Amino acid sequence: MALDTSAPPAPVEPEIQLPISYKAPITMGVLGVFALVVFGLMGDPAKTTTFDLTIGTEAFALPDVAVPSMAFSVVTAVLCLIVAGYALVRARSRRRVPWWAILAFGLAFILSFLSWVAAGKTLPVTGLLQGTILLSVPLIFGAQSGVLCERAGVVNIAIEGQLLAGAFMSAVVGSLTNNIWLGLLAAVVAGLLVAWVLAVFAVTYFVDQVIVGVVINTLVLGLTSFFYTAVLSQNVETWNSPPVMQRIAIPVLSDIPILGPVLFNQSLIVYLMYVLVAVVHVGLFRTRWGLRVRAVGEHPKAADTVGIDVNRVRFRNVLLGGMAAGLGGAFFTLGSVGAFGKAMTAGKGFIALAAMIFGRWSPLGAVGAALLFGFADQLQQVLSIIGTPIPSQFMLMAPYLATLFVVAGLAGRSRAPAADGVPYIKS
Amino acid sequence: MKTRVLAVSALAALTLAACGEAPSDEGATGGATGGTAAADFLGCMVTDQGGIDDRSFNASAWEGLQAAEQDLGIQVKYVTSKSESDYTPNVNSLVAEDCGIIVTVGFSLGDATLTAAQANADEKFAIVDENPDADPDTDGVQPTENIKPLLFNTAEAAYLAGYLSAGMSESGTVGTFGGIKLPTVAVFMDGFADGVAKYNEDKGADVKLLGWDKAKQDGLFAGKFDSPTDGKNLASNLIQQGADIIMPVAGGTGLGAAQAAQESGGKVAIVWVDTDGYESASQYKEVFLTTVEKGIANAVETATVETVNGQFTNTPFIGTLANDGVGLAPYHDFESKVPAELSAEVEALKEQIIDGTIVVESANSPQT
Repeated sequence: MALDTSAPPAPVEPEIQLPISYKAPITMGVLGVFALVVFGLMGDPAKTTTFDLTIGTEAFALPDVAVPSMAFSVVTAVLCLIVAGYALVRARSRRRVPWWAILAFGLAFILSFLSWVAAGKTLPVTGLLQGTILLSVPLIFGAQSGVLCERAGVVNIAIEGQLLAGAFMSAVVGSLTNNIWLGLLAAVVAGLLVAWVLAVFAVTYFVDQVIVGVVINTLVLGLTSFFYTAVLSQNVETWNSPPVMQRIAIPVLSDIPILGPVLFNQSLIVYLMYVLVAVVHVGLFRTRWGLRVRAVGEHPKAADTVGIDVNRVRFRNVLLGGMAAGLGGAFFTLGSVGAFGKAMTAGKGFIALAAMIFGRWSPLGAVGAALLFGFADQLQQVLSIIGTPIPSQFMLMAPYLATLFVVAGLAGRSRAPAADGVPYIKS
Repeated sequence: MKTRVLAVSALAALTLAACGEAPSDEGATGGATGGTAAADFLGCMVTDQGGIDDRSFNASAWEGLQAAEQDLGIQVKYVTSKSESDYTPNVNSLVAEDCGIIVTVGFSLGDATLTAAQANADEKFAIVDENPDADPDTDGVQPTENIKPLLFNTAEAAYLAGYLSAGMSESGTVGTFGGIKLPTVAVFMDGFADGVAKYNEDKGADVKLLGWDKAKQDGLFAGKFDSPTDGKNLASNLIQQGADIIMPVAGGTGLGAAQAAQESGGKVAIVWVDTDGYESASQYKEVFLTTVEKGIANAVETATVETVNGQFTNTPFIGTLANDGVGLAPYHDFESKVPAELSAEVEALKEQIIDGTIVVESANSPQT
């Protein structure tokens, strides 16, 4: 017996035709052909590239991997082209290129480049990655601060100032108490205070957020420089010789080949960073608090209508962001060189801001962007040491060049929270 | 959105530039008693962006001026430049104050000094680390008679440091890095490279130098002078590649290298530059093998005293090993670790450089 399946057919929704975007396949194709020609076919067939996969602290050491430079560059460049082809297929069927394809492309392209640039030499892969993490740490802290503020609709240009204040206070308190934990606490408090100034002006008094941020940066730079000259450099022993964090190897995990020493043989502040990123991510996307924050950042009026106190949420988030950046500031002193130095954050707060935007206002995206900056920076240092055909001034541009390519070619359109930067005045 | 990103980046640039608002902090110390002519003499100085407490060449120049104050009872003062846009107004403000001599510190003040010197033929200038008349950038400009360049051929002292480091290295690898690629930075690295090469030649050794390729005139740079965290990372990379003696020519950025050496627990040593690191960066004193010193304080003091006595000339002063304008600092904590034979060889090399048997050549040495 046949079931009667002749229920009236569900109305078919008219399919929306998205325009075909060829941006990703074209970028990948051009870069892939470039890799094939320059890194591959123009390479030196007689040379080998050695990848050193150890750092000296592992329980058991992987052997060095030596590959023929030219052949390896060609193979990886062809892989790039295969991914580009896949991206083309996806694009023609109007589907987005998945993130793993972009990652695979990036990896193959970098391997092709490395095999060419380090032909005849040894490239320390583990050291390269370990340094990448360290260079990214202040950027990641700063970017999390940016995410916390901007998701709630407040633009945080003051990240640089918060980092600097954190670095300064952690050095001073760390020196006076000779205690790393108190130094960290002081860094958090310093970031909080700087953020409080931002919150009062930007949220309570509706002053233009960008302008307040810029003024705060200049203020913190001036204050810390003054106290550095007037107090810290007068008696370095008392005021500016804080303890420095040592590396802590996490048992078992730090013995994993390559990634073990990179991720799990770092100092306390790096582990705190992992925790922070996880907390921000889960908090923003998996909790009621996060939903409210995002609502306030996207559509404050709607949030207000359902009873959320918009400006209170914003005020709190700015303070939280300041605490995150302040903690990151401790990396410069307690986590790295100990003593505070004038303007020692050296513009990293602004790069953190860029990483956040490039990471599309998402905690994990910002981490990815910061790691990319860190990797490009570390790579240029390592390559400058082993010697490359590229002049050093160009090498110093590498982080910014890499970003340009990724932002322009691969990352999709980034969209800020709709109410980002707009003060909410209840009418 | 686009406009915001633009606004943000523009503002970021602004803030960075705004690091130097007005050329404000002026330090002046009244002269003591002393002869009336000297007591009326005002010795002035303009710093570059490093500021007066850079523990490096601005601090040294100020020390020299203060020494002249002690010697003769003159008055001295300085003006801090916080950004490049301060250079010309700062120099001009001192011209307006009737300074007896204006000492400008650093390569980057060359143009501002030259312009002011041409406009004010009666004013006397001395400039550290730059010879405006020999600068190809200002070719076609009339040479001036009222600037005394104070130059240092640091390649000679760095040569000794390179030889010493090659002899002291246990890993057979030494390293160097610079702040920004300027002739006054690269000249250290050239000398260091030649010193290492000399050791290899004399001893049949094969000590490698990382971070500077003299033939290509290129190497490892931080891109800034004020970021110790970057310096530490650069040093860690050099250490991972096997270097156990590192010479950072990078001001505050170099302090990060000293930190990295300290964390190595005695495996890595540092060769400092400009002023004896054992004293100027005493928190790291145990890691300093030696320092490639520049006698900036003496040169500034001498130039000032000459001017007070009416003996100002525009002949460039070039600090060399021969006139003690450059040299190696004592080994301090390494005194007992440097083999007597090696330190004797370094002494012998110094004599050979002074008497001209060995000529340390560098494209970055000061030109007269």
